[in-house]
Amino acid sequence: MTPRKDLLDIQSLTDEEIDFILSNAVPFKNLFKRSVKKVPTLRGRTVLTLFYEPSTRTRSSFEVAASRLGADVINFTVSESSVVKGESVLDTVSTLEAMRTDFVVVRHGKSGIPNLIAKHTTASVINAGDGFHSHPTQALLDVFTLKEVFGGDVRGARIAFVGDIQHSRVARSTNLLCRRMGMNTAMLAPGSMIPRDTPKEVALFQHWDQLFAWKPDVIYLLRVQMERQNVPFFPNIGEYHCIYGLTDARLDEVKKSGTWVMHPGPVNRGVELNDAVMNYERCLIDQQVENGIAVRMSVLYWLKPGSLIEETKV
Amino acid sequence: MSKRRLFKGGDIASEDNAKLARADVLVEGERITKIAPNIVAPQDCEVIDCTGKILLPALFDIHVHSREPGQEQKETIHSCSEAAINGGVTGFVMMPNTVPAIDSAGVVKTVLESAKNCRIPVFTTGAITKGREGKELAAIGAMKAAGAVMITDDGFPVSNPVVLRRAMEYARDFGLIVASHCETMELSGKGSMHEGSVSYSLGLEGIPAISEEICLDRDIRIGQYTGAHIHIQHVTTARGMNTIRRFKEEGVKVTCEVAPHHLIFNHEDVGDYDTAYKMNPPLRTKEDNAALLQGLIDGVFDVIATDHAPHTPFEKNNDFASAPFGITGLETALPSLYHYFIASGKFGWNVIVKRYSAEPRRIIGLKPVPIIEGGVAEFIVFNPNATTTFTKEFMRSKSVNTPFLDKTLKGSVEVVVLNGEILLSR
Repeated sequence: MTPRKDLLDIQSLTDEEIDFILSNAVPFKNLFKRSVKKVPTLRGRTVLTLFYEPSTRTRSSFEVAASRLGADVINFTVSESSVVKGESVLDTVSTLEAMRTDFVVVRHGKSGIPNLIAKHTTASVINAGDGFHSHPTQALLDVFTLKEVFGGDVRGARIAFVGDIQHSRVARSTNLLCRRMGMNTAMLAPGSMIPRDTPKEVALFQHWDQLFAWKPDVIYLLRVQMERQNVPFFPNIGEYHCIYGLTDARLDEVKKSGTWVMHPGPVNRGVELNDAVMNYERCLIDQQVENGIAVRMSVLYWLKPGSLIEETKV
Repeated sequence: MSKRRLFKGGDIASEDNAKLARADVLVEGERITKIAPNIVAPQDCEVIDCTGKILLPALFDIHVHSREPGQEQKETIHSCSEAAINGGVTGFVMMPNTVPAIDSAGVVKTVLESAKNCRIPVFTTGAITKGREGKELAAIGAMKAAGAVMITDDGFPVSNPVVLRRAMEYARDFGLIVASHCETMELSGKGSMHEGSVSYSLGLEGIPAISEEICLDRDIRIGQYTGAHIHIQHVTTARGMNTIRRFKEEGVKVTCEVAPHHLIFNHEDVGDYDTAYKMNPPLRTKEDNAALLQGLIDGVFDVIATDHAPHTPFEKNNDFASAPFGITGLETALPSLYHYFIASGKFGWNVIVKRYSAEPRRIIGLKPVPIIEGGVAEFIVFNPNATTTFTKEFMRSKSVNTPFLDKTLKGSVEVVVLNGEILLSR
């Protein structure tokens, strides 16, 4: 396996790399049962989180992962003022470069920013979500969770994404990884929230009854991104919930068939789901969060050789 | 006694004949005085060996952003004219999206004054509306009197159809062409590339083809209704092109242009967010490439124009959505058209002469510059057996935002002649 500098998207990962990341997450997760959860793998290394978009979950997940590997973690707060002052992303990157961090974890509202940063820094860049493009660690933790649920083999399992597909990097990257793992995927959303160019292999549904007839093993609910909508994509929340949400009646249907439910968080209660979903025993949301740490530890561990190589060059 | 030059052994291209004619060309003073096989060099005559090379009438570009006034860090009229010469272009028309916009007789005079320092003639458009805001008509008559050759809000459409209608009715009586950048702004939204499979996988907001096609259809209909001459700029889609074809068959006064990059590249070339492939209108699909090429061969496109749009590395070295639209084109146009199309026999030299030399001049009321006895000596010598590498050092434009940066193409513009003078020789 050639050492790699960055994790920017799912497309560029080889099967071998995916397998490496997913299988190494298992021993990392086993650590969590111990009283001392820390290993010295990245001792003396610095992980910097650079978040241009607010995110508590992903940021703290990376922070916990990095500190459990013994790394020093630094939050680089991008002040709105420096952005307003016209400091470009690359100006910030040259500042970071001078700080000589080993990893930069980036989240940005614009697609492709991690790719741009990766070209201009020697640090390993990990994409923690960019625009509508990609969220590779989310996809990896989702598939890791699915492998746990399906006893290691997810081939042939059926997963349906429901909600704001148009504005979802999660739908794009998790769907892509699920398909690579041999799963069947489907999407259910209002027509205005399904990208025109969704890959043809993905089954597209307009109504829940069609989706239930497809017999999904997993329903993956997506957050409705209210904040991203300058032109409305649907009439109102009430209508959205009635027609596209996982209502109590639909939850009964889900329970009957024992379908698993996932969500990348944070949830919008009364929009894409109801409170009752959170208490459903096959709701995987908390498991996703826990696995997120293990998978991110595994990603940091996987990228580590790259920085070691840089070091030997010097 | 005026200077004599004999261009020996070259193959002469013309707009109406796909076949090249081998002959020697004698230039005395500003004019071509003799074209014949094996001319014996008279006394005091410089002989330029053109064996194996092509002589073609010099090019003319009706769609160029020279950025002056206001954005001289990107380009000046002078640097733009030197870039043009470097590409074999001996005249061009500037677009009015400068800062301030070229929207009054005063600014028209200012830019034309600045253009006097150039070694080639430079022409300007004027804006259709004040500040290119699409609201009030600019002083169209006064700009015409000051020398504007065309009006356009290029970079933006005139979104309000009533404003466009009035502008066309008004411009018609001044004999001014109204050039249209076709885009439905609401449909384009924050889009930064063609809406399609690539924008999907890169997670970028798309500019759908209908954004261009709807506006194009609307603008030609307003042109038809008012009787003005409408010129559609940078057509990118097969459907848009077919709309123009249909209106032309109906006899509507519509002309149109295609840019080399829309023939050569498509949205897949954006690759890993490469902003050298970001322009507006955007690169479309492979199928559109093929259709536009056929349209050029069939004569749907009146002219080839580059939409030369310089931007600094600082501006282009940004994330794809934030980087500005536009790529340079004056220096790369001819070698790229040769490399991708002529060398592989897709079309002949006559297409270049007609669409990138003769017709663009006719559109703005100039005479073409064919290589004929008695004609003005305004031609280029192109070496099809050489190559050109578009390094930063090669480029004369102040900006290097081109997909061809550091790439090598077949062919080289070796000599550029204007009024008998040699502007470039390599």
